[in-house]
Amino acid sequence: MGRRVAVIGAGMTRFVRRAQETGKELAWEASKAALDSCELQLADVDVVCLTSAPDAFDGVHMKGEYLSDGAGAYGKPFMRTYVGGGSGVFTAIQGWYSVASGMFDVALLVAEEKMSSTQPHPQGAFLTIFDNILERPLGPNLLWIFALEMNRYMNAYGLDKRDIAAVAVKNKRNAADHPAALLGQADITIEDVLASETLAWPVQRLDVSPISDGAVALVIASEDAARRLTDRPVWIEGVGWNLDTAYWTNRDLVFPEYVQNAARMAYEMAGVTEPRKQIHVAEPYDPFDYKELHHLEGLMLFDRGKAPEAARDGVLNRDGDLPSSPSGGLLGVGNPIAAAGLMKVAELFWQLRGEAGARQVPGTPERGVAQAWGDLMQVGTVVVLGVDGTTVNGSTVGDAPTTLPVVQTPPLTAAGHPLSDDAFRSAVGAIEHAVDARYSWDAGAAISRFLDGLRGGAIFGRSCRQCERILVPPRMFCERCFRSTDAWVQVESTGVVQTFSICHVRWDMEPLEVPELPAVIAIDGSDGGFLHMLGEVEPDDVRIEMAVEAVWKPVSERVGSILDIAYFRPRRSA
Amino acid sequence: MEKIAQPSQVRRWPGEIPVRHRYTPGVAGEVFFTALRDRAVLLGSRCEECAYTYVPARLFCERCFGELAADTEVGPGGTLVSFTIGFVGIEGEALDLPVTLGLVRLHGADAVLLHHVLDVGDRPLEIGEPVEVVLRPEGERTGSILDIEGFRPTAGG
Repeated sequence: MGRRVAVIGAGMTRFVRRAQETGKELAWEASKAALDSCELQLADVDVVCLTSAPDAFDGVHMKGEYLSDGAGAYGKPFMRTYVGGGSGVFTAIQGWYSVASGMFDVALLVAEEKMSSTQPHPQGAFLTIFDNILERPLGPNLLWIFALEMNRYMNAYGLDKRDIAAVAVKNKRNAADHPAALLGQADITIEDVLASETLAWPVQRLDVSPISDGAVALVIASEDAARRLTDRPVWIEGVGWNLDTAYWTNRDLVFPEYVQNAARMAYEMAGVTEPRKQIHVAEPYDPFDYKELHHLEGLMLFDRGKAPEAARDGVLNRDGDLPSSPSGGLLGVGNPIAAAGLMKVAELFWQLRGEAGARQVPGTPERGVAQAWGDLMQVGTVVVLGVDGTTVNGSTVGDAPTTLPVVQTPPLTAAGHPLSDDAFRSAVGAIEHAVDARYSWDAGAAISRFLDGLRGGAIFGRSCRQCERILVPPRMFCERCFRSTDAWVQVESTGVVQTFSICHVRWDMEPLEVPELPAVIAIDGSDGGFLHMLGEVEPDDVRIEMAVEAVWKPVSERVGSILDIAYFRPRRSA
Repeated sequence: MEKIAQPSQVRRWPGEIPVRHRYTPGVAGEVFFTALRDRAVLLGSRCEECAYTYVPARLFCERCFGELAADTEVGPGGTLVSFTIGFVGIEGEALDLPVTLGLVRLHGADAVLLHHVLDVGDRPLEIGEPVEVVLRPEGERTGSILDIEGFRPTAGG
């Protein structure tokens, strides 16, 4: 599996709501801190791996090129990779294969995000991740995806919201010990979380990580270089990544199989056969509190549906049996998207070196797992780190680490200077611009026919004879069998609610006067379904597994749009 | 593939990405724009290690990663490194008056600056010819790259 690769240095800026620094400056501060931490110069770096989430956040097209100087890429092999929220951990994977392949000895990994530039709200940049023709006309809000998944997860196992809120409490308390944290809060309680504003039920304000600016960098090296440069290398023992279907409404929203697939890949490479015994510290991705639990199950560290009670019982606390997000995670340290993922890898590096200061988990953790998640919420990225003294494939590797003085990391003087709202509005030299780009999206072959069907008051799918599925929404190819689908099939105009949310805010977080009821509806007679709205029902009366039927607009008002279905209502006829 | 013979049959959905951006100039940028507005000077950053002077000022040297300060006044004179004359706008429309843009290496700087070339007249510009920065008058400067009106050729007429 290539050469052994170790993390040898890490650095980060403070995570702040708005940074005074430009994205380039943030990237430089983190990169410089990482190089300084292992006493290297930029000239010692052979390759630079960068990640940053959508260009629309910073408002810079080709952000990789824009950030390259701050990432130390001048005159070096350089590439930006991007898998949405999974990017931060993926950059460690990119760095791993750059070095394991033998191409390079020392790599600088940089993750930057500046979300504060986007007005009125960074969610605007996310709207086009929804299908522009089938979902965007419904007026979606990014929170819908999380609320719908969270509701389904809670429903499947009969979970108590208190146990999920315990994750937000744990992470914000942990973050109080992190010198770079945005939302550390030592005295927060479950009641505070449960009393916070409901955004898109069951998601409340304090279930969600904050919009943030920040950057993180790591230095990794081949085994030879690592042994030369440090006496405390932290080995990248395993890496894994995996994708679920792009049709998010057709996905298993209860269990993240893609995370499990990625974890299996990473564990196999690391020789981890019993993750619950062999993983001593975890940094699962926690943009929402329930996601940490979802991911701990995907990482096979808890049985399905059992992570919430571990949160309740303190198992995930820093002094628990499996410390989870001892950094404070995205919920506490902050969520500058790509940077937040790499922060998790950096935290494992500090924890496994015994350098995490007040955040240090007790005992001598020898192996940890970091994980992130993203794209259209369907990518899982996993990295397993370990220190010498751990067993790989049954045999002890290297010498046990010597006891070293505890270093507070990252340094308390971490850069990343907060900019007040007034300073943000009045900064000398600031410029405001709109991206004046308009689009005209083609429906394509399958969806054009689907929309024609809706105009005629019928829902059509495409059949795949090989996997014996009827695909709704229809497509001309089956993504599993990778062959043309076979025939048009009219399916029912009825279905079953898979999950729903009661949403109180618009995408720009402005309050709605009347709450909306988005739902994922499995369409009868098909193997798929889609996102739509519920109507003629009180929010409190909606249930998962409720039978519903399409309410069509009058024929004269139908135009060949997903809105030709006005909404779905509880089914009246049997 | 199913071919559509009539373009009008292609089903399309219009939309946009409803975001605008507020760009703040950062640590070095704020110093540069404040000096430009208040003191009518162009500040660069000198990296002694690399013997290179950046303009506008920067927080760090991309060559050696050293920290820099806005410590070096550059210009107002400089040399035209390259130029172009634009006859059409971004939508391809003809402009009433052509626009001349120049890349200029200001005296004391190694990096070059992009801006308009002013008062070009009928005389052909020459790469390498001397120019000077023209600033807006005090009181009209707001802390913007447009506080610089442009570069005016100083040789000939």
